[in-house]
Amino acid sequence: MKRFILRRLVAMPFLVLGIVTAAFLISHATQGDPLISVLGDRQMDNPEVVAAAKARWGLDRPLPEQYLVYVRNLLTGDLGISIRTKQPVTRDLLVRLPATLELVIAAMIVGSGIGIALGVLAARFRDRPFDHFSRLFALIGSSLPVFWSGLILLFIFSVKVHWIPGPGRLDARTTPPDFVTGFYTVDSLIAGDFGKFLDALHHLALPALVLGWAVMGIISRMVRASMLDVLSQDYILAARARGAREARVLFHHALRNALIPTLTIIGFSFAYLITGAVLTETIFSWPGVGSYAVNAARNLDYPAIMGVTIVGGLAFLITNLITDIAYALADPRIDMK
Amino acid sequence: MRTDYRPNRRRAMLVAATMLTALGLGGGHAASAAEKPLVIARDFDFNSLDPARAWCDSCQIYLTNTYQTLVRLAADNHTLLPGLAQKWESNADQTQFTFHLDPQAVFSDGSPIEAKDVKWSWQRLHNIKGGPSFMMDGVKSIETPDAHTVVVNMDNPNSEFLGILTASYTGVVNSDVAMAHGANDHADADKTDTAEAWFLAHSAGSGPYVLADYKPDDEVRFKANPHYTATKVGISEVVMKNTKDAVAQAQMLENGSADVAMQIDPDTAKSLPADKVTTEIVPSFNFVYVALSPGAKANKVKLTKQVREAFADALDYKGIIQFTVGGAGKPQPAPIPNGFPGTANLPVPHQDLAKARELLKAAGHPDGFSIDALFPNMNVYGVDLSLLMQKVQQDVARVGIKVNLQPVEFSVWRSHISGDGIPLTAVFYAPDYYGSGQYVQYFAMSEGTAWWKRAGGKVDPSITNPAEGKLLQKALASPESAKDGVYHQIALDMINDKIIMPLVSPSLVLAYGKSITGVRYSACCNLPIDEISRK
Repeated sequence: MKRFILRRLVAMPFLVLGIVTAAFLISHATQGDPLISVLGDRQMDNPEVVAAAKARWGLDRPLPEQYLVYVRNLLTGDLGISIRTKQPVTRDLLVRLPATLELVIAAMIVGSGIGIALGVLAARFRDRPFDHFSRLFALIGSSLPVFWSGLILLFIFSVKVHWIPGPGRLDARTTPPDFVTGFYTVDSLIAGDFGKFLDALHHLALPALVLGWAVMGIISRMVRASMLDVLSQDYILAARARGAREARVLFHHALRNALIPTLTIIGFSFAYLITGAVLTETIFSWPGVGSYAVNAARNLDYPAIMGVTIVGGLAFLITNLITDIAYALADPRIDMK
Repeated sequence: MRTDYRPNRRRAMLVAATMLTALGLGGGHAASAAEKPLVIARDFDFNSLDPARAWCDSCQIYLTNTYQTLVRLAADNHTLLPGLAQKWESNADQTQFTFHLDPQAVFSDGSPIEAKDVKWSWQRLHNIKGGPSFMMDGVKSIETPDAHTVVVNMDNPNSEFLGILTASYTGVVNSDVAMAHGANDHADADKTDTAEAWFLAHSAGSGPYVLADYKPDDEVRFKANPHYTATKVGISEVVMKNTKDAVAQAQMLENGSADVAMQIDPDTAKSLPADKVTTEIVPSFNFVYVALSPGAKANKVKLTKQVREAFADALDYKGIIQFTVGGAGKPQPAPIPNGFPGTANLPVPHQDLAKARELLKAAGHPDGFSIDALFPNMNVYGVDLSLLMQKVQQDVARVGIKVNLQPVEFSVWRSHISGDGIPLTAVFYAPDYYGSGQYVQYFAMSEGTAWWKRAGGKVDPSITNPAEGKLLQKALASPESAKDGVYHQIALDMINDKIIMPLVSPSLVLAYGKSITGVRYSACCNLPIDEISRK
């Protein structure tokens, strides 16, 4: 196991370099001029102003030189300055990543928790009304575009029945807690401000549900299929013959084995949501990495595009590794060599 | 009547229990009703908070409320009022302007505002070579004979200079404070000034508010400037909250989590409940236009004057306004906003299909022709440019002109327009200050203007109209009373060019909570927050 992890860790920097090179080439090959977001349309016709801006952002240098400078800075942990926000990209990401992680973790808790429960019960009550209901629920969650379900649920729960606050991570009139982890729920607890904690939690509920619903469907269907497979095994029959209670059979004997393929889905969903939560972040005015990525792409903000790509790539690599390890822990028969 | 979102524990418990098994807690926390901060929901387009580098609509709001200009624009959007300058005078040929500063005016740190700060701010604005640096173009020298007098000498007459000074980018910066954090006004400031990062966390002006906190893509927090005395500030704390979507902005207004929004489209505004939200639809000075570029490489036919006229005559101007903004907009005859100098009584364009067909026939295209249209894929001031271009496509198809639509990102559009040119495009313009000269400098077909280059003036000199440039010089040398007539003639010439065809000046929806008063749209500054208060 140790050798496997070490091998993966050693390969990681090379994979990151590949991602960096591909992202650099693709973003710079795109037709477009990032200086429009710095100077505005009018000044783009002023050669003196454009030349000054190019020099400031290093865009006057040959592309290979720009690449080498970027990689050299990257080795020292410097991701550059965002052309759009004018802040160091590292700082931008450090501020936004906790917002996205808080949302994605909450969404994964909702999606996995409810998805697994639905999957287990759907398998147990196969072809009965609950199974049909869970299938429909999963189908709706997976099919509805997040921008639509988000707006509709906001309208119902925020505007009409006032159960949920509006968009944002906190009430707009509330000052955010001091930055410790960047998770407002955690930071407000650290600050001892329980009111702010409840406000943060309350704001988190709906976007987490909307985002979690999208992955809930896949997880519940995957668990159902695996559970049906496992429930037909002899050892389940044996457990029942020994008089084990049904809940124990389902959750202790069957679910543990049925969860193994689901772990992969959960792992990939997590990595996907870190960079893919953009629509939810937009609808709920959630200042996370997803919306940062979209703004970076739209404005051709090269340093930000590169930064997000590296973070996204790392997220996939790390979650992949964790998933493989979890896989091995869940099923000792899997050989990690 | 309930207008605010007021969470309570029972509701929260119910929501959390049903929605978040693992997060089985709920509740809420809201600021106290008394002295509630004002929340403005807005789709952020900030690119800086440095007055010499910022260039965007949100920037105008930020700068207006943290920095003061020498001259202000009155609520009627054309009268000039004293700002930091108590009075001013200009010489007869509009080449020298003398400003007398208010000796009582102080920055937010309590230090006096002096002529040296004005000189330093404007020199820096020019030398940084940022988005707004053109505002100081033509300034030959700035003299400060005493601490409260500023004399500006221009290279050429510029009767618009006072109007330019209402633009928030010309706001006066506390030079001592800014220099202590890396700013300078030297000729090489574009390379040596390192203060932009500092300006992202601090303001150094004398406006009604100071910057309390800025989180890019999230929020800007303002606190009242204790040393500001020019007007009575109604609300002591203001939050601008980034809210991308117009529907989300409307929802925030409806549930009380925002107080003001000014980017809601007219259709969405109709859904706002009148008992909770006040909506005003006011004319704006923004406009969306289509442009033909006879010099673009991709042209399949020569876009002669006759062809361009035919294209303009084929457009259903009324229908376009109805189709794009549901009628909440005005036609605009010339590429100078309605209400600006010279625009009174201009001929309003209308569709004339028979004339368009005749012109095409005379131009040798009785069956029409094909043209590529590349345009930014964006929704701007409530106008979806893709929707607009679909309508244009339908209109001109009636006379046989086939338009191939190619929506692209704005940055991509920009490199095309300054590269090989674009045969047909759609784009927008918003004012930076009250004055028609900026539009002539940008849209006229006199040599060297932005649109003369884009339309291919070098490739097709037939589009050049030197008279417009000469008339502009005359307008800039004219006293206030004589400017209108000259700009009117320029506007007629620009209409006649048939290069720029304004299609709609979309109305602006000002939406705000019932307890709010004092919200208005400003041509130079977007939203003067200090005028807003609670009833």
